[in-house]
Amino acid sequence: MPLSPHRHPLRRIAVGTIATAAAILALAGCSAAGASGDGKTEITLSMQNPDVESADPATWAIVEAFEEANPDITVTVSGEAVSEHLQKLSIAAQSDTLPDIFWVYKSTAEDMQEAGKLLDLAPVLDELGLTDAFPESTVANFSNGDVIYGVPYQGLLTGLWYNSKILSDNGLEVPVTFDDLLHVAETLSVKGITTISNGANQSSFSVWSFLVDLDRFGYEEKIDGILDGSVKYDNPDFLRLYEHIAELRDAGAFASNVSTQTYQQAVDQFTSGNAAMLDAGVWASSAIQDSAIAPDAGFWTGPQFDDGVGEQNIVMNVASAPFAVSAKVAGDEQKLEAVKKFLDFYYGDEAQQILVDNGQPPVTTYEPVVDAQAQSALKAALDASTADGVTSPQSQPDLLVSTPVANAMYDSIYGVIQNQLTPKQALELVQKALDAE
Amino acid sequence: MSAQLMDTGLEPISEIALAGAPAQLPRRRRGRTAAIVVGVAAYLVTFLIVLPILWIVLLSFQPSGNILSNPFSFDHLTFDNYVRAITSLPLLQMYGNTILIAVVSVTVGTAISFMAAFALTRMIFRRRRTQSALRFYLLAGLAVPVYILLFPVYRLDLALGIFGTYAALILPYVAVSIPFNTLLLTGFLREFPGEIEEAAIIDGAGLWRLCTSVVLPLMRPVIATILIFNVVYVFNEFPFASILINDPSMVTVSLAVSRFQGQYTVDYGGMMASATLVLLPQLVIYAIFQRHVIAGMTVGAVKG
Amino acid sequence: MIWVSSRWKILLMVAPALIVFTGFVIYPVVYSLGFSFTKFQGFGAPEWIGFDNYAALAVDPFFWQALQNTIVILVVSLAILIPASFGLALLLRRRIAGGGTLRALVFGPAIIAPILVGLIWVFILDPKIGLLNRVLGFFGAAPVQWIGGDTLTPYAVSLVFIWSSIGFAMTIFYAGLQLLPSDVMEASAIDGATGWQQLRHITVPMMRETFAIVTILMITNVFKIFELVFMLTGGGPVHRSETLVSYMYFVTFTNQQYGYGMALAVIITVLGAVVSAGYLVVSRGRKQPA
Repeated sequence: MPLSPHRHPLRRIAVGTIATAAAILALAGCSAAGASGDGKTEITLSMQNPDVESADPATWAIVEAFEEANPDITVTVSGEAVSEHLQKLSIAAQSDTLPDIFWVYKSTAEDMQEAGKLLDLAPVLDELGLTDAFPESTVANFSNGDVIYGVPYQGLLTGLWYNSKILSDNGLEVPVTFDDLLHVAETLSVKGITTISNGANQSSFSVWSFLVDLDRFGYEEKIDGILDGSVKYDNPDFLRLYEHIAELRDAGAFASNVSTQTYQQAVDQFTSGNAAMLDAGVWASSAIQDSAIAPDAGFWTGPQFDDGVGEQNIVMNVASAPFAVSAKVAGDEQKLEAVKKFLDFYYGDEAQQILVDNGQPPVTTYEPVVDAQAQSALKAALDASTADGVTSPQSQPDLLVSTPVANAMYDSIYGVIQNQLTPKQALELVQKALDAE
Repeated sequence: MSAQLMDTGLEPISEIALAGAPAQLPRRRRGRTAAIVVGVAAYLVTFLIVLPILWIVLLSFQPSGNILSNPFSFDHLTFDNYVRAITSLPLLQMYGNTILIAVVSVTVGTAISFMAAFALTRMIFRRRRTQSALRFYLLAGLAVPVYILLFPVYRLDLALGIFGTYAALILPYVAVSIPFNTLLLTGFLREFPGEIEEAAIIDGAGLWRLCTSVVLPLMRPVIATILIFNVVYVFNEFPFASILINDPSMVTVSLAVSRFQGQYTVDYGGMMASATLVLLPQLVIYAIFQRHVIAGMTVGAVKG
Repeated sequence: MIWVSSRWKILLMVAPALIVFTGFVIYPVVYSLGFSFTKFQGFGAPEWIGFDNYAALAVDPFFWQALQNTIVILVVSLAILIPASFGLALLLRRRIAGGGTLRALVFGPAIIAPILVGLIWVFILDPKIGLLNRVLGFFGAAPVQWIGGDTLTPYAVSLVFIWSSIGFAMTIFYAGLQLLPSDVMEASAIDGATGWQQLRHITVPMMRETFAIVTILMITNVFKIFELVFMLTGGGPVHRSETLVSYMYFVTFTNQQYGYGMALAVIITVLGAVVSAGYLVVSRGRKQPA
């Protein structure tokens, strides 16, 4: 039984193992000593996009301008896709390793605040004189008693973008009432054109225009009761709304592949001229502006219902998800100063104009300069939000409930759009999530 | 049953026909017809399997807008997606990090799994129950979905003071590879008769020589398979990498594609191009590896 | 073997794997098991609620839907994948010009990250923009809702899973075939056994362990399918095409019900382990009489 004596793979592996184990230790030692020694203060900013520079040019431009104005401060921007970002935040919150400033959903921020993970920004905003810079509803939205746990990241101005050429080519006008919209859907579906472009795949939250409709059926008056259990989500008013969504579905308003297309595909369907309307918000203005349909694009605040409840002429124009600041920042004087400077800059007029230049509405009361030609889409949305007589709810409906309930709300709306749930079942789904609280 | 035991070449000529070809044909003609049928079948099946990959490569040359609205028009093929992928991704750094992590974790993982598998199949335990219980203990790890591990492993890395280092990723990769490696190694060791080792022991071989000079060479095809699978795992692993890597200079290739997916924007063209850029080198590596390594490992095994 | 089997030698061989595995797999599982008895959002104080999460799962229709889908995928995948990959290993084992390249190409899908596999197949299976319906349309067939409809998604997921795993399973079978003693093969060929007889009575029985390896890997992998569903349909419409892990991901990270998600994760782990062990017991029992 001759063995090959010169080959000892396992010995090589063993040596390699020891060597690599040593290497691991060495590497661990290296990066521990990696603190910056150039005297600059570093603050970390964690966002909901992996590549902030291309996906969120507004934030990127503000950070660049800030660093130029404050050469002694470095802002380290990092990011992940929304789901990984939230995953990372929740794990980091539990381990007390939160980034200094981060984008986060309002409901998560509230939980973090209650768990003592966030810095109270009320004194900071006071000191900076920023409290009055925001619309009142914004501050109220991100407050818990006297504590302010968040500041607005960007604006949440939502509605239905429309393609006026598709409408006029089919002898249609921009609708005003729900019946007008239903008529548009009936007319267009005969021609095989999608009326409202939506995409449920990986973006079940993309039902912004229908969330506004909840406010047209008395959501604001009901929400406190819904949360304390005295009013049912499963009520006759909401049932009428969900039945209207079913009518739209039956009229062929939605894309045949609404279940498998993503929000991004829905946008693409609209910007490539294959859908008459897009359910989205002002953040889509850049994509629309860059497309061939830009000259025909308009912004509609959504249908008015003659069987609705309360004010019908409303537009959703509120603050979107907040920025929150880690409570640990307070323990580092230098860092706290840097964070203050950053917030002061972000809500100053220069940065607000940068937002506008990048297709975002300002989040302060700043009155921006908008180029009517080069930013026609953004201008359309801003004009619609400030038109005579139009008012905005205090908050988007899903931002007032817990995350599981918000998800149930999205599911309920898409469930009707995708013909998976009857209006009644859809309401029960949300009610069940509420009852589980 | 020892001499010819390992005499299995890369392309064994053993006459296993897939289905009995008509027996009445003259032997040579039957052989040639069968060979042609087999060849055609092999190429056809391979083509079907590769088709979806070709489709992606094709799409990666489409302008981003076309991918969604008009994927079947081929008038405007462009390299733009690749330019974007190469300029916006630190590909060299990503490959460097991934290769470092892969080499360390796969080497360590394979070595310690082999040691355990050897003990669990070949060594004699005072209680046999302990032996099979230990094997099942390790195998149970196969059923664990990674999402159950993320949060505790993160905290463990913090507690061990290795968070933010390569070790934070290497240790869980080693741990997760152990059940798979153990399954393959113990399975094949059990299927494999032990006579050679007994002969070696009678010749006076100790534990070290038994492992390195006798068993390891015999297990080369399996080790090669394990190495390939483990490397592929590290290249593709996403959940751990996205949670445990905090430093942008430590990103691995598995994070490349997700860089093109924003909250409200998805760059499908960039995704396709980066997918292709991550994929093709791996395919080439596998092709080289399986050809030379598996071949060398099997053919060069013990001949007596 | 008794010479080399002293207690400390055994310990030396087993300890490294046991320590790393226990530390980074078993300890985390136990840690998470604890959270499955709490109401916990990922931070703040977990609230002990006993078996409430498990009780809630029992009446959660989305959980049962996800379980049903996973079982469909398991049955369809195993029934096709095991014979197909074994056949492919036999096929590619034969002398074929360019055989090495073919093996590399067949293995190709196994190299692709699951998330990319999902992305690739969106562009094939999507009812509107997918390649498959375009091809069918070319032949005059009506479009089929492969994914995103009421019924077909789990079957489509099986198809994609089979595609992405066949090279993987084939490679293991191929390695197993390499280990077969060739003298037995030659002897039986001389005895005049036909290819089929040889396959059935010699090759397959000798490769029992290999079959067990592949089957167990595929069972446990099916129980982990997540990215495919996530990319193809996002679990929709309304959680209808969810698998166990994709639903767990939704509950844990999208809904931030960490405790409930961990209860689901524990169920998935137990199911995967029980089905694999069940397979082992059944397959052992069958061949023991020999």
